[in-house]
Amino acid sequence: MKSLLRICLSLILIALALSAISLSAYAQEDPRRPVTDDEVNAVSKKLYCPVCENITLDACGTLACAQWREEVRLLLSEGKTPEQVIANFVARFGDRVVGTPVDPTLRALALLTPWLLSALVLLGTGVLFFRWRREGVSDVPKAKTVQPSAPAPRRTYEDYRARLEADLAARR
Amino acid sequence: MLAEVGFIATFLAFGAALYAAVMAFYSVRQRDERRLLSARNAALATAPLMLVSLGALLSALLTEQYQIAYVWNVTDPNTPTFYRITALWGAQAGSLLFWSGLMSAFAFGAIALNWQAQRRLMPYVIAYTMLVLAAFLALSLFFENPFERYWIMPDDSVAKGVFALGGAVPPSAVRLAETANGLNPLLRHFGMIVHPPLLYMGFVGFIIPFAFAMAALASGDLSSNWIKATRRWTLLAWLSLSLGLVLGGRWAYDVLGWGGWWGWDPVENAAFLPWLLSTAFLHSVMIQEKRGMLKVWNMFLILGTFSAVIFGTFATRSGLVDSVHSFARSAIGFPLFFFWFAITAMSVGLLLWRWRRGELRDERRLHGWLSRETLFVLNNVIFVMLFIAIFWGSFGAPIFSELFMGTTITLGKDYFLQVTPPLFLALFILMGVAPLSAWGATTLLRLGKALIAPSLLAALVVLSLALLQPTEPLVLLIYGLIALSGTVALWETARGAAARHKRLGENWYTAFTALIARNRRRYGGYLIHLSIALLGIGALGSELYQQETQRTLAVGQSLELGGYVMRYDGFLGGQIAEDGRIMDIAQVTVLRDGREVARLRPRRDFYPNAEGMNTMTIPSAHSTLEGDFYVLLVDWEPISAQNATFKVFINPLINLIWWSSLLLILGTLIGMYPERRVALATATVEPSSQLAGAKA
Repeated sequence: MKSLLRICLSLILIALALSAISLSAYAQEDPRRPVTDDEVNAVSKKLYCPVCENITLDACGTLACAQWREEVRLLLSEGKTPEQVIANFVARFGDRVVGTPVDPTLRALALLTPWLLSALVLLGTGVLFFRWRREGVSDVPKAKTVQPSAPAPRRTYEDYRARLEADLAARR
Repeated sequence: MLAEVGFIATFLAFGAALYAAVMAFYSVRQRDERRLLSARNAALATAPLMLVSLGALLSALLTEQYQIAYVWNVTDPNTPTFYRITALWGAQAGSLLFWSGLMSAFAFGAIALNWQAQRRLMPYVIAYTMLVLAAFLALSLFFENPFERYWIMPDDSVAKGVFALGGAVPPSAVRLAETANGLNPLLRHFGMIVHPPLLYMGFVGFIIPFAFAMAALASGDLSSNWIKATRRWTLLAWLSLSLGLVLGGRWAYDVLGWGGWWGWDPVENAAFLPWLLSTAFLHSVMIQEKRGMLKVWNMFLILGTFSAVIFGTFATRSGLVDSVHSFARSAIGFPLFFFWFAITAMSVGLLLWRWRRGELRDERRLHGWLSRETLFVLNNVIFVMLFIAIFWGSFGAPIFSELFMGTTITLGKDYFLQVTPPLFLALFILMGVAPLSAWGATTLLRLGKALIAPSLLAALVVLSLALLQPTEPLVLLIYGLIALSGTVALWETARGAAARHKRLGENWYTAFTALIARNRRRYGGYLIHLSIALLGIGALGSELYQQETQRTLAVGQSLELGGYVMRYDGFLGGQIAEDGRIMDIAQVTVLRDGREVARLRPRRDFYPNAEGMNTMTIPSAHSTLEGDFYVLLVDWEPISAQNATFKVFINPLINLIWWSSLLLILGTLIGMYPERRVALATATVEPSSQLAGAKA
């Protein structure tokens, strides 16, 4: 009986020791670390609320955004880099959650188009400049100018006065 | 009764506008002065009619006529009188009516003041202003009627209509008052009494230069008459739009609770786009007036400005773009888009027609690469490039990707901060250099010499900024280039006053005031340049050197940021304000070098009756010349509030942005004030404008 008790106690002790070892190993492998609010905000600032457009996640007051911020915190605490967290959100919600698209085609379209259009404007202006310089001033036809529009009653009065003067001159 | 009065007045205004437009066109065709007079009288009548209409709606808001759906939607019995007034433009229907009212007032002023002097243009001015007014009034009458009332139908259903439908009875007044919505919490801010009216004045005001430009194209009077007639109207619209933008930034800073003032939100950008084109226009018209150049370009800019105004209105009111501002969406999208398309096509068509006929040829060509006109053209090109970049980011790319690539994208601050800074910097450089160049031609040497003294002054500004906070060399260089645009303005003014003081023996005050009085346009412009330089320094400083932290503090605990210490002192929860909102207020003390500098009360306001967004995070800030210590209450422990979470920002130099607007007002008013010169004198170039040349 005594030996049976001893064996049972030994088994329990071994089991406890094993579980302690496995628990400590688990605790050592837990990659989670405390994450500050500032770290969460730094990433959230680069993400746009997937629901209410054009508001960054750090500034949005909705419950959904509060939950997404907690998700950012969790991902960071698991050792993900800010870039990985952003990529995670983009994979789930699309390129609308970032200020500039991550997808290379969309990114190129977004960032290069204004410069290409601006280059066209600059080119057009440059061509115009050169043409103007080549043409010079003298060969430019004077624009058809129209007399400034004068007050109608005054013009009538002026016409009348001119006719009167002419009439008087003729009589003299 | 008020609903009937308002509706009938609006309907009559619509009829009068339509009649005036048709009759004005007809009078030109028939060369009939009598019909033109009739058109003018009808056009003038729209303003008092709109005054009656707006008066009726305002009275309904003030006297709590909740049967009117608009009043029910934007006020409730707790709404203070102040916000009952601002509720006039607090939602789609009211703001559209307000917009039309402002437009009729602008049309009234422009027609009455120019009737004698611009008789040839007047029929067309009447026609185009009234066409636009009629289109907006049609939106109010047929799509977003602010005078519609609630009715209980015989089958107990609720219907909306201005007049009682068959067998309908009004709902119980008590029930209506109990269920009224109240004003959108976002709009309960002091700035809301001035920000929307100024912005609308800015938008609407461009109807006058637009109508005159169209009149010039239609009538064939392609001289500078239309520019001279509309210069002050354009400046008034530009000033209103500028102030509207700055006040909008202040509102965002005070109400939206994200620590910044400009978020590159599509609605902000929609208001900024016409500003860019109109600013380019204000510069390039000077070249047409002085040198007879850029006639097509000026037409293009002002027609583009008005087109951008209508497009922005369409984009933000139709729900094309979503943002915190898009509180006012409805079914007006399609009609407004159609109107924008029609007015733009008509403008472009008319411009191309005159251009192809060779009637818009310039009288001179550009010569020197460094002449003032060349630099002005460059400045215009950069404004247009900025317009393209911002339009693309706000509307172009999101619409293009959704239509043609099947994906939705948002181009946010990241995009705008990558694309726009080089263009803004180029503008500041030109703002510094262009006023020193001469009309016709300038050499690099002369320009360089003229730049020496202002550059030294700019270096002093840079030195002060470097002492204020540690700054990287590249940023210091950018500060210097921005500052140069302001120091050139200061130096030129001081130099002019010194010359008078020396030559004429005037005392400094007289010399200064006489100098400004002699050329108000130029010195008003210099003051505006100075204000934009201040704004630029403020925007750059607050963007690049903003510091931010978020911490949870127990009562008595402190946090440190940028040399400040903030201590959490206590919490006042559940405070009920007069208008019914519930305020949760944190009490904090700000210390610097161990000395108390401010006690702040950041808070969270909860509006129990409001639908949708019913919570507002209201910051509290300690402001100095150096910047703002800005605190937001993010969260707190329920019941005990022993712990509270704060987001704290230091926004360096941000107050320069607000103060710059005062200089902007002063400069524009000086520029608008009538000159006392005879007509012939305007044709000659003043010797002082030939600064670089005169030095040779």
